[in-house]
Amino acid sequence: MFEQILDTALFDSATRAMVPILLAALGGMICERAGVFQIALEGIMLTGAFAAVAGSYLALSSGAGVIFGVAAGMMISLVLAYGTVTRRGDPIVLGIALNLLAMGLTGFLLPQLFDVRGVFQHARIDGLDRLPIPGLSQIPWVGPVLFDNTVLTYVALLLVPALWIFLFRTPIGLRLRGVGERPLAAETLGVSPTAYKYGAVLASGALAGMAGAQLSLGNVVQFAENMSSGRGWVAVVAVMLGRAHPVGVVAAAALFALAEALGFRFQGNGLPVQVTDALPFVVTLIALIVARKRFARLLDLTTAG
Amino acid sequence: MSTFELELRGITKRYPGVLANDAVDLAVRPAEIHAIVGENGAGKTTLMSLLYGLFPPDEGRIFIRGEPVHFSSALDAIAAGLGMVHQSFKLFPTLSVADNVVFRQEPTRRGLIDRAAGADRVRELADRYGLAVDPEAVVEDLPVGVLQRVEILKALYRDAQVLILDEPTAVLTPQERDKLFEVIRRLRDAGRTILFITHKLGEVMSISDRVTVLRNGRAVADLMTAETDPAEITLHMTGRAVDLGSRAPEHQPGRVVLEVDGLTVIGGHGRPAVTDANFEVRSGEIVGVAGVAGNGQSELIEALCGLREIDGGSVILSGQDITDADVAGRRAAGLAYIPEDRYGVGTTRQASVADNLLMGHHLSSRIQRKGWFDRKAVAKLTRRLVDVFGIKVDSVSRSVSTLSGGNLQKVVVAREMEYGAPLLVAEQPTRGLDIGAIEFVHGQLIRFRDQGGAVLLVSAELSEILALSTRILVMFEGRMVACLDPAAVAEPDIGLYMTGSHLEAAVG
Amino acid sequence: MASRVLKELRGISERALVSPVAFSLVFAFALAAVIVAVTGGNPLAAGEEMFTGAVTGSGLRNTLGRAVPIVGMALAVSVCFRAGTFNLGGEGQMVIGGLAGTLVAIYLPGPGALIVPLALVTGAVVGALWALLPAYGQTHLRLPILITSLLLNYVARAITGYLVRFPLADVSVTLATTRQVPETARMPKMPVFGGVSLSLLVVVALVAVLWMVYGRSVAGYETQMAGLNMRSARYGGIDVERRTVEVMAVAGAIGGMIGTHLIIGEALRFIDGELVLSGFAWTGLLVSLLAMNRPIPVFVTGLFFSGLQIGGLAMQRNAGVSWRLSQVLQAVVIVAVACRLAIRRSDRPSTEAGESEASAVGEV
Repeated sequence: MFEQILDTALFDSATRAMVPILLAALGGMICERAGVFQIALEGIMLTGAFAAVAGSYLALSSGAGVIFGVAAGMMISLVLAYGTVTRRGDPIVLGIALNLLAMGLTGFLLPQLFDVRGVFQHARIDGLDRLPIPGLSQIPWVGPVLFDNTVLTYVALLLVPALWIFLFRTPIGLRLRGVGERPLAAETLGVSPTAYKYGAVLASGALAGMAGAQLSLGNVVQFAENMSSGRGWVAVVAVMLGRAHPVGVVAAAALFALAEALGFRFQGNGLPVQVTDALPFVVTLIALIVARKRFARLLDLTTAG
Repeated sequence: MSTFELELRGITKRYPGVLANDAVDLAVRPAEIHAIVGENGAGKTTLMSLLYGLFPPDEGRIFIRGEPVHFSSALDAIAAGLGMVHQSFKLFPTLSVADNVVFRQEPTRRGLIDRAAGADRVRELADRYGLAVDPEAVVEDLPVGVLQRVEILKALYRDAQVLILDEPTAVLTPQERDKLFEVIRRLRDAGRTILFITHKLGEVMSISDRVTVLRNGRAVADLMTAETDPAEITLHMTGRAVDLGSRAPEHQPGRVVLEVDGLTVIGGHGRPAVTDANFEVRSGEIVGVAGVAGNGQSELIEALCGLREIDGGSVILSGQDITDADVAGRRAAGLAYIPEDRYGVGTTRQASVADNLLMGHHLSSRIQRKGWFDRKAVAKLTRRLVDVFGIKVDSVSRSVSTLSGGNLQKVVVAREMEYGAPLLVAEQPTRGLDIGAIEFVHGQLIRFRDQGGAVLLVSAELSEILALSTRILVMFEGRMVACLDPAAVAEPDIGLYMTGSHLEAAVG
Repeated sequence: MASRVLKELRGISERALVSPVAFSLVFAFALAAVIVAVTGGNPLAAGEEMFTGAVTGSGLRNTLGRAVPIVGMALAVSVCFRAGTFNLGGEGQMVIGGLAGTLVAIYLPGPGALIVPLALVTGAVVGALWALLPAYGQTHLRLPILITSLLLNYVARAITGYLVRFPLADVSVTLATTRQVPETARMPKMPVFGGVSLSLLVVVALVAVLWMVYGRSVAGYETQMAGLNMRSARYGGIDVERRTVEVMAVAGAIGGMIGTHLIIGEALRFIDGELVLSGFAWTGLLVSLLAMNRPIPVFVTGLFFSGLQIGGLAMQRNAGVSWRLSQVLQAVVIVAVACRLAIRRSDRPSTEAGESEASAVGEV
């Protein structure tokens, strides 16, 4: 039984499921470190997925698609940054509204631009190819799972150590953490919280947009309405569960992705799709309960006291 | 070459309805300790914030060593050789001491922070000026006195020639204060200039070379400390003779109202914040709780008032065991509470004066029946409280965010007095208030006591405790280490207990 | 003369700009017009179709009909938001409660006068129970309702999807759906504007009840104060946890009732995914935010948003512009309102507020 379930194909599909969650969660992590509560990841990811397909369709290149996705993600996040940082709006209200805006906007543009409903598939859409890394991809087990993937997969995996060094070893990272912890203290030392928060939110927009591109050009080659289907929210939980630390975040993202991949596998074994679809969310809820001690800060943020 | 290290000329700053600084002149000579004194609200903090570039003055100019300077941010002030130790520390709790000190001027090697170099530099500065501190320690684990040293190190690391200390002794014990004074003198002897902001005359006399007095936003006097005396400074500060030090007339304590037995409270990080506290408060007495901030006073009060779980012991109020009661149960048993944070806890900013006055009374059968308010009774109650306690507001439907600090505290005091409870817990009831409001609050506490109420008063101001208390309890590291008679004890002796130097003393 | 008109116009526009809601509405419509133009449509024609579609012909009836779920879900979420509880689980509460109520209507025999109310009550009870999961999660396990209530939406989708696809499926049709609600157990229509569901009266009654409770009752006072400043509410003796559980239960009950109405009054079958697709919970959430959680403004705003959607459908039919534009419009209004003027929902004493407060305590 287990041998049937735990094979490289499972972990390969887990890797693919992980990359969008990981990219978005790393973006959320940067925001968390900068003291911005980022819950628009879901909407940004959806917008990125749409823009990536649109860009790839128009420019006939997956590279252009990724750039479109990243740019669209940054545009949405710019609104969030303006609203929360400059206008001091409520980040939760803005996050929710931006998620709904993304849903409406992609749902509106799909029939308007491409004259289709629900799903947009076209031979012109250039998907992201798998780029096996010579040598590494030959390693048994690990090779096919990690080193035979899209370029965005490598970006996501490399970002984990890169962001670790950035946050904890570079001056800019130290200042970002300082801004997140005590903006006034940072300001008195000449570090502008506004600039750092804008930077963090824009970075999260780029990463969540990239996550969307992986979703619509890497995992599949199409855009479907609402195709982010809760992954952005799972990323929000991954940030909290991973205590906004790159290693913790990647572990949490891997856990959720494994649940998603297992869901697919069970589906193949005859379990109804409705049940397996819920699996990542159930796992997320269980993880929340198990690690609940870590959520004091989130609770403070999301309640009135 | 100017003879002044620092000079302010005609500095003016207006806020809506307030002239915070009115054409202030200030001249500070190199290597002197220059005190700036004034009451709360005299404009000291505004003046220092202007000097430090936190916001620009409306009028006036600043000169450093004769050169006119213009600061658009704190960064400019730092670059010009100014360093500021704020009243509320501007530190990053989860970062190490060294990271806090080098922040934004990090020593780097190949683009990465050079941790070792930073720590070495901090250690070297600390040794030179006698500021004992471990560069690797995480700030949130450090006591207040050490945090202040970190702030001073931050300024020295940035090579500050002029060091501004804003009410630096407010959080210190007398012993820590003396240590700080040594550091300050050492800095002066090394050629640095110190601006020392305070409202305590004793400190002015013992540390400063020169003193500037602010009153109502104006600089009203510039004196050599050696040539003046406290009486003259007081006159300049207040424009009248005030005697806050006079003691309230004695009263005979009556029955026991509050009885605390073996109270233990676990605080953050799972460490005990209050350990085995035993005391009682009788009707007709004010029991003062003295102690350096962070020695369990907040946890003690929160536990008494039902805002924090009690982990051991018992609390009995008027013969009723309230150890496990919730807030509503405690209030019903006869507990009124003036909290330390009147902005975040005592009141709700966006709510109206009426809604704030109602809080806690809203369950009273006088103004509601079966869960529905009697609107006439509500209006009557709020109007009466506004009248009796002289709350200055044109309409009770106004949001309390429009009230001044003193007026806001009147809302809290009025509401809590209205309970007619036998016990009043007052936590830092006068912090940040002007003299008029302080007199009001003190008067209310004494009136409450004279009517047979029992008061538990927590204050960081020893003078307040000494002036009001019938008995003084001293807290150190979560324990009651002394019970003292204010008539028979001197301030330095209390300080010894506050620092734990007399651990063997029994609690009465 | 021209200058006088100009001056008058400037006065009006300045007053409008002072009101963040008016500004946001103007901004949202302008942006929507630009989007339509850029994507190859005619904004003026689209706008005209939207307006006439919402209020003329059967439009008015449809607008009133759609206002039932929109206002209802807005009231549900407003109860929570007002108390500082961030319930994002309206969708799940609506879907789960809706299915439960529908089952009563389908399988329980009896006269309509008994079955319809019973279905609504069942929907309310089950919706409330579902809402209690995240409520107790927050009060007992310290899990933020914001996250758990949202994640539970996906679980509710899966559960109802599974139920209507397998145990409860109507095998006579290809859709994943329950059987049709029998004629006797349907929500009756009132003979006004060509047939508006009786549920509209239920919603109006709900507005009145909440208006009374908010303004005059201890429960209304306590939930409001808890929502504005939880620490101060606790200090004043309010049992914030109990109130959190209560508002969640009320929200879940309203949601379950609305879900039931949508099946026994409108769709007549519980088709997998259809309630979710309608997005009423989210539209309601936007309505509540714009109306700042006050019942009467919620009703007016809900009617307006309903009109936007009905008009949007007419616009799609007649001007070839997707009705989803109305969703964009709604979200943009909230984004604009949140940017121009923070919708302050709480007196959250964050560390930062603590810092600035400490200095405010100091001196001027």
